[in-house]
Amino acid sequence: MTLARILVVDDEPQIRRFLRPALAAAGYEVIEAENGTDALKAVATAGPELVILDLGLPDMDGKEVITSLRGWSEIPIIILSARDRETEKIAALDLGADDYIEKPFTIGELTARIRTAMRHRGTASKVPSVVASDGLVIDMVQRMVQRDGKSIRLTPKEYDLLTLLAHHAGRVVTHRTLLTSVWGPAHEEDMHYLRVFIGQLRQKIERDPAQPKIVQTEPGVGYRLSSD
Amino acid sequence: MPANEPYETNRPDPDALLALAEKDRRGKLTIFLGAAPGVGKTFAMLNRAQRLRKEGKEILAGLVETHGRSETSALLDGLEVLPRLSVAYHGKELQEFDLDAALARKPTTIIVDELAHSNPDGFRHPKRYQDIEELINAGIDVWTALNIQHLESLSDLVEQITGVIVRERVPDTVLKKADEVLLVDLPPAELIARLHDGKVYLPASAKRAADRFFRLGNLTALRELALRRTADRVDDQMIDYLRQNAIEGPWATGERLLVCIGADPLSEKVVRVASRLASGLNAPWLVVSVARDDRESMDDEELRRIDDTFRLAEKLGAETGRVTGTDFVAEILKLAKREHATQIVIGSQRRRWLGFALRNSLADALTREMSGIGLHIVTADENQKRSPRRSAILPRPPSLTRPFVSALVAVLPATLLGVLIDRAIHLPNISLIFLLAVLACATYAGFAAALMSALLSALAYNFFFIPPLYNFTIASPHEVFALCIFIVAAVLAGSLGSRIREQAQTARLRANAMQALYDFARKLSGTADVDEVLWASVTQLQSGLNRNIVLLRPNGELLETAAAWPPDTELGVAEIAAARWANTKKEAAGAGTGTLPNCRFHFRPLTSPHGVVGVCGFEVSGDPLDSNAERMFSAIIDQTATAIDRARLSSESSKQALRLESEHYREALLSSISHDLRTPLATITGAVTSLRELGERMTPESRDDLLQSIEEEGARLSRFVANLLDMTRISAGTLTARRDWVDLGDVVRAATERARKYFPAQAFETGIASDLPLMRGDSVLLEQVLFNLLDNAAKYGGGEPVNIYVRRDGRDVAISVTDLGKGIPAADLDRIFEKFYRRSKSDGRSPGTGLGLSIARGFVEAMGGRIHAESPAVRKRGTRIVMRFPVEEKDRTAGSP
Repeated sequence: MTLARILVVDDEPQIRRFLRPALAAAGYEVIEAENGTDALKAVATAGPELVILDLGLPDMDGKEVITSLRGWSEIPIIILSARDRETEKIAALDLGADDYIEKPFTIGELTARIRTAMRHRGTASKVPSVVASDGLVIDMVQRMVQRDGKSIRLTPKEYDLLTLLAHHAGRVVTHRTLLTSVWGPAHEEDMHYLRVFIGQLRQKIERDPAQPKIVQTEPGVGYRLSSD
Repeated sequence: MPANEPYETNRPDPDALLALAEKDRRGKLTIFLGAAPGVGKTFAMLNRAQRLRKEGKEILAGLVETHGRSETSALLDGLEVLPRLSVAYHGKELQEFDLDAALARKPTTIIVDELAHSNPDGFRHPKRYQDIEELINAGIDVWTALNIQHLESLSDLVEQITGVIVRERVPDTVLKKADEVLLVDLPPAELIARLHDGKVYLPASAKRAADRFFRLGNLTALRELALRRTADRVDDQMIDYLRQNAIEGPWATGERLLVCIGADPLSEKVVRVASRLASGLNAPWLVVSVARDDRESMDDEELRRIDDTFRLAEKLGAETGRVTGTDFVAEILKLAKREHATQIVIGSQRRRWLGFALRNSLADALTREMSGIGLHIVTADENQKRSPRRSAILPRPPSLTRPFVSALVAVLPATLLGVLIDRAIHLPNISLIFLLAVLACATYAGFAAALMSALLSALAYNFFFIPPLYNFTIASPHEVFALCIFIVAAVLAGSLGSRIREQAQTARLRANAMQALYDFARKLSGTADVDEVLWASVTQLQSGLNRNIVLLRPNGELLETAAAWPPDTELGVAEIAAARWANTKKEAAGAGTGTLPNCRFHFRPLTSPHGVVGVCGFEVSGDPLDSNAERMFSAIIDQTATAIDRARLSSESSKQALRLESEHYREALLSSISHDLRTPLATITGAVTSLRELGERMTPESRDDLLQSIEEEGARLSRFVANLLDMTRISAGTLTARRDWVDLGDVVRAATERARKYFPAQAFETGIASDLPLMRGDSVLLEQVLFNLLDNAAKYGGGEPVNIYVRRDGRDVAISVTDLGKGIPAADLDRIFEKFYRRSKSDGRSPGTGLGLSIARGFVEAMGGRIHAESPAVRKRGTRIVMRFPVEEKDRTAGSP
């Protein structure tokens, strides 16, 4: 029995060539598309449960594929991207992609991302009330944050930030999303707020704030709450 | 949280501020003022220096004239003395003040004696007070000595009192701006006694003049002048102090002087008198020249004299301005009102022999019109009345013969016509014909001619038409009356006509000047190139001024000739120094100015809103520019400066655009390289990690496939790296092709073989002619070129077979590679050989590195061949790349048996 059916969209044949056997061996069923049109068609007809999408496609921009997909589908999307395409990556995440992975990547990283994305999609409708990470327990029903049994006092903004990250535990949340949901749309550019509050948050929740394990930085993109 | 930390660190360091203030500090000027030579100024100065030295202050004796007096030289002991600069001047060795050494030494205080001294020709400044000003600007305190007779505003008074003409003069502003004035006083009787004892140094040549000068009366008068000047200064300081401290005091109540001057020699005196009056009243003063605006009646001589007077006024501390208008009185009063003048100073007018006789004198008119304003009238000296300066007033011979000839030419035909008409019909008003002649003269030949023709006409009319005929007697009295009326009418008509003519002439000249400027402006506006701007303005200036012109532009630290007319104009050391002065000090320098006046050129800075953009100079041969030329010169250099500025900005913006473009290109290049490197790396990393982590769960076929993909991607990477290296070799110019004998058939077969290995699914068809000559070349490079072409054809060929043909074509051998893909738009045919150019991957096929064709061209050209692309190739599709190499016939026959 396969874990899930995955659509791989990449115009480079050699990438598809190694993903196919590797993902199959990891227990997934792989279908392929080499351009955006085929990808949209495949999502509609073949019923995949996750899309791995390269942003550089011959016929249309990868971001356009995300936009059209999000018009009618909530399917998890993982972006394949290069380190130097930061703005593209962020734009894709803001358009609704769930996560990204940079080329070159190991198969272990990719399968971990796939698992996280699948898990969230499966529980998308009901947000978990309790999230645990590295000894930290976030109870969103009781509005309580505890570390090793001791409760931690957070300011309302810090709490909002933490719960937003917890909702997407394991996945990256872009700066923009964090800023607009916690501070409002007018503060989209106020990156320094984020730096200050994340710093304060780490002081309170991390075991070693100098080497944060719970709130991880995705340079240039956003933050990620690591999930057990 | 340390919220206020940034403010803490941004606070300026007081020490740094102090250092800055110290650097920008202006030096202080101390003047030791004396009534006459020998009162002990140098002695007093050195005494004070010794006192300061003992207090540990740094003081340098820049130039001290001891005149061999032992008590004075004794005071030099222990003071640092600046070595003098010795210069040869008219065969004599002169010991002069070394300004540059003093600036380089930069002491706290320097003593430079004899403020009124004039430097020999060739020095940077003609006058010592200018040297001192430079020292002060450099932040050095200066002590100097001055005798009261050298003060500019007093020079005429001194001359009057002592009968000695003072040639070395110092502007009053120098004394006024001095931070400290010390009066060195000695009673005249004592001074005369010192003189008789030989204690006052005087050059041998001046011994006789000295006897006249050192008289009790003279010395007492000079002493009074010096004392009064010092007292005035102290008074000023007192008033300043009262004002600054807001203390009510009896200071002068806002007196303001308006001084009107003209081109007459009296104006100089008017200015001097006004200056004394102004300093006595402690009042600011404005000197204006009043000119008629309806005609350019002033000649160059007069304009120059007005300029000279202005310069004198400025030296004496006045503001200057020009006023034009038809009604002098109204203009003066208007100005007086605007400037809140409380006193008006004018010169008494001498009545001219004609024209002004009817008018009231200016003084009369002013007194009638104005109220509440004081009027000072300065009268001429006796000798000034008798001999006006220079010969400017003398009539010039050519200016009288020309009008006379014109008058003759006009009156003779009129007389002839009159006689003829008189014969034919009886005309009672025959004088009208002469009036016509007078008008014609006035219109075409000017006022003098009109006057003469009126005179001639009267004579001729009398001689030919008034009975008794043919002599100058007049019989009936009413004819005398008629003649008188005629003369008056002729003179009036003549003066009117000549005025119209002059106005027309002025208008024409102005229009020409405007047209020239307009043309120039248009020329400038059309160019965005600095060099073109420079040449346009140089030629414009040369044709307008009729002098040699140079334009210099700063190039880093240096100032270089950027354009000149004539183009080979060479500048001497003095000229370059003056130009540099004009550039750095933003003021005029060179001939006709106070800075380096002995060089051939006069330099002006080209000032644009963004600072000085260069220097323009014209050669001064004899005369300075007249006011028209001056105006034109200023207008042109202003426009030039603006145009240079604009050209510079536009070139900067285009450079910026270029930089942006190249940045964009570099970005595209980087992203392309990174993509080409990353894709194989991603494949290899992914495949290797898959094999390691999941290999056990894979089928053997899958494992094999992954291993194979790793191998292929490794090969791809190595190919790409090799391409990059090849490209680098071509770009660096280090590529050398061998010139071996090559069998083209072998090369084509080898390349095709290799291509088939890479593209197993692709069909390659070869057609190799049987009569192929051997060619010289590098088989390795050639194989690489062919492989690149096949690689491209396979990528863009759309899966259709690729054809390779090799055949002989005239004196060339041609190799063509043809695919049946989509083809290339005609516009892109040349660009495909450019580095990193690649067709968009719109067909979904994997793109190349963008290097293949570029490398192919580099290699082909290195082997002496050519390469080009054709598209469409076959049946409206496909691309054909053709290479041609020349065949060396002789070698072939010799080489192949």
